[in-house]
Amino acid sequence: MAILSRERAVTASAEACEKFVETYYQAINSNKPVASYYVTDNTTYTNAGHPPADICINGQAGLTPKQWDDLLETQRKIPSASNTNPRYHPVRYEVESYDMHVINPDYRFAAPPALLVPDTSKPDLGAGIRLMMMLTVSGTVYFTSDRDGLKQHFNDVFILVPNWDVLAKHGSRAARKLLIASHSYRAF
Amino acid sequence: MAPTGPRAASGSTRPATRASRGGISKRRVAGKTDRDGDVSMDAPAGSGLNGGVAAGRGGTRGGRGARDSRGSTRAGSRITQNVKNYIGSRGSVATNKTHFNKVTLKVHGFRESKAALNDDGGRRSLIDFLERKASKDKKVTISKSVMDNEFFWISVNKDDVPDLLRLSGYSYAGAPITVTETTEKMPDASSTTLELKAKLTEVLARRYNPEQRLLDLSALGTDETLRSMDVFSQGSRAEKAFRALLRIATDQYTKTEEKNQAFEAVSIARNEIDDVGQVFQLAIDLPRLKRLDLSGNNLETLSKMSKWRHRFKNLEELHLIGNPVAAQSDLVAEMLKWFPTLQNLNGQQVRTRQEVAEYQKAHQPTPIPSLPSNLRDGENGVAPAFLQAFFPLYDTDRERLISEFYDDDSWFSLSVMLGSGRALPWKSYMKFSRNVHKTGSRSADTQQRLFTGGSLIADLWKALPPTRHPGMDQSHQWLVDCHTFPHLADPTGQGFSVGLIIVVQGQFEEADLSQNLFGTRTFSRTFILGPSKPNNPPPQHPYRVISDELTLHKWTPSPTQTPVPSTVTAPQQPAAPITIHVAAPEIIPTQPVQPAEPNDTLKAQLIQAISQATGMTAEYSELCLRGPANWNYELALQSFEQQKANLPPSAFLATA
Repeated sequence: MAILSRERAVTASAEACEKFVETYYQAINSNKPVASYYVTDNTTYTNAGHPPADICINGQAGLTPKQWDDLLETQRKIPSASNTNPRYHPVRYEVESYDMHVINPDYRFAAPPALLVPDTSKPDLGAGIRLMMMLTVSGTVYFTSDRDGLKQHFNDVFILVPNWDVLAKHGSRAARKLLIASHSYRAF
Repeated sequence: MAPTGPRAASGSTRPATRASRGGISKRRVAGKTDRDGDVSMDAPAGSGLNGGVAAGRGGTRGGRGARDSRGSTRAGSRITQNVKNYIGSRGSVATNKTHFNKVTLKVHGFRESKAALNDDGGRRSLIDFLERKASKDKKVTISKSVMDNEFFWISVNKDDVPDLLRLSGYSYAGAPITVTETTEKMPDASSTTLELKAKLTEVLARRYNPEQRLLDLSALGTDETLRSMDVFSQGSRAEKAFRALLRIATDQYTKTEEKNQAFEAVSIARNEIDDVGQVFQLAIDLPRLKRLDLSGNNLETLSKMSKWRHRFKNLEELHLIGNPVAAQSDLVAEMLKWFPTLQNLNGQQVRTRQEVAEYQKAHQPTPIPSLPSNLRDGENGVAPAFLQAFFPLYDTDRERLISEFYDDDSWFSLSVMLGSGRALPWKSYMKFSRNVHKTGSRSADTQQRLFTGGSLIADLWKALPPTRHPGMDQSHQWLVDCHTFPHLADPTGQGFSVGLIIVVQGQFEEADLSQNLFGTRTFSRTFILGPSKPNNPPPQHPYRVISDELTLHKWTPSPTQTPVPSTVTAPQQPAAPITIHVAAPEIIPTQPVQPAEPNDTLKAQLIQAISQATGMTAEYSELCLRGPANWNYELALQSFEQQKANLPPSAFLATA
């Protein structure tokens, strides 16, 4: 197996993460659930015996993706409103910086055979795809519509792995190519 | 009606759009200067000039009618315009900036035209005329213009010059005009404008109290300077002059934050205000005001204040005594509703600070609670051992750190979030910042600013400023989350191995020795640790750094409120014993990280202490404490030692 060149790995990881950052925070900012971004609900991974995604939010570990969605919803809730008639205020995550490293350039867990180079005479379809990456994202969380109002800095760290279901198929350009295997969040 | 001059009758020639009522409606800055740049100082007949508050009262009462009077509005707007003109010209005309694409033209002959009798000296209609006639094939716009006694100076795009020169000989409102190109520089805004601004600035300086951060705009009708300028004798004119005052005061600050800090309190007491609409601009220019004095005005009912409802979201103190509305029984209840942060109304406490905090908390989303550090690094306490070795070495011996934990495949990059607002510059980091959000994924920087391999990383670290991280035993300074994860490539090339991800938040002190700056930065740093390679290089530890990412945040007071568990401070049986050099730190700051700026009392004490230690005046002592030292006594003393030779004698207290 040819070793993936550093250049190619860097470019591939940067492009994949760029897309990921864009869609993930857009989903959060439009109050959409993000549970499906995690390996936990992906049968290809779970069937192969992958543990659930490790989610640690502000020091609270062992959360499921659903619980993270619930935490985000609770965060949006206006406390003075009643529980029967809850009211929400948009909480906005504004990304100001992100950076990523490839931490395993030949990630093979649960990979479909087609992406594992069965034949050395053919080009390696999986090169630039079989990446395990670490992505750090930081920015500001705004809790009010007023930019000078309540706000925090946030720092998200993800370990991302390929979404084989999407990558094995052709023409699924728009679909989610990465899944979250680990997520550490801190706002301060 | 109070015509202010011979041109009052020609008011009707003004475009209809400008005939709007006074108030706060936006005006087109049409006539930047009037014909001769003069401000009409003649008193409108019937307005009481003769005595203080009473005069003001007469003025305001009449003001409602007078607001519709074109004459007076015009005079007032001229003041605003002159001021605006001055302000607008600061960045362009007055600085004589050369615009390579702009050419200056002089228009002559318009003084004889009928339009010269217009209120603005015919300026607006002359601009319209020139633009209309010159726009034959393409639209021609005049970007800047100044009118003086003889010429009308205009600045246009180079390409448009022929179209305008062509207009020489055209007849404008009954007079032939000539247009010539010139290399002379455009004159500054009229001297009257400058004079006016200087006078208003002087008024402001006199009325600003820096200790209380109070802008005292009370009883403007009795202010000698303003009376001599005759700007507060009449309602509508007063409104505009008030806006001009606010504008001049607030325009000194380019940063909103600084502006809000400079003006925490405003008094507009005793100004015969009968509707806050007359001073509405205050809510626009200083929306974060904390204390507002409206006492001694003529506000009759709550409806006269309703324009400020839901404004001043930080208002803590409000004075309405001396207004008819102050007697209203539901005043307190209403004001509490209008201003959710209000604590003091007419000198009475109406809400406690705690109640305000509770109210705010109940009406806005609640951030996800923060728990202490979460360490799940397996049985062997690798994370605490690694961090305890890492940060002291990063501060003192980066090369050794590389040789202990990094190999040829280790990755390092740093990224910077801009807008820190603290004294430290970003320069030393910027050229290495791999913030893909800024550079873009396809940028060459994304490749080049990623450092692979110990030797490259070591070279970079030599170029980064010296730092000093707090000891890991100061657990309140740190937040560490870590856990193990599967599926790293095994260094033997066979199968998977387990990795450890460590995310650290904290602060470090930094010394920028080239510029002699000291300060604190907030950072996050993420490490991926994996098993060492069998033989290359000889492993010092069973694990190595696969990935190291440093993010420098905007400065925030302190990342933690809660202490981290003691596992960080007392690691049990580290996987590999690490010996740490006890090398003398290279940089001097020895004080613990100062989390936030101290309060005023503490500041005063610090100033006094520095003054005693150095013999400097309070003013210079404060200078030492501000800036990079950030109210750190030791750093301020260092800064003094370094700057001692350069200080003027006046910096020191006279020895008794």
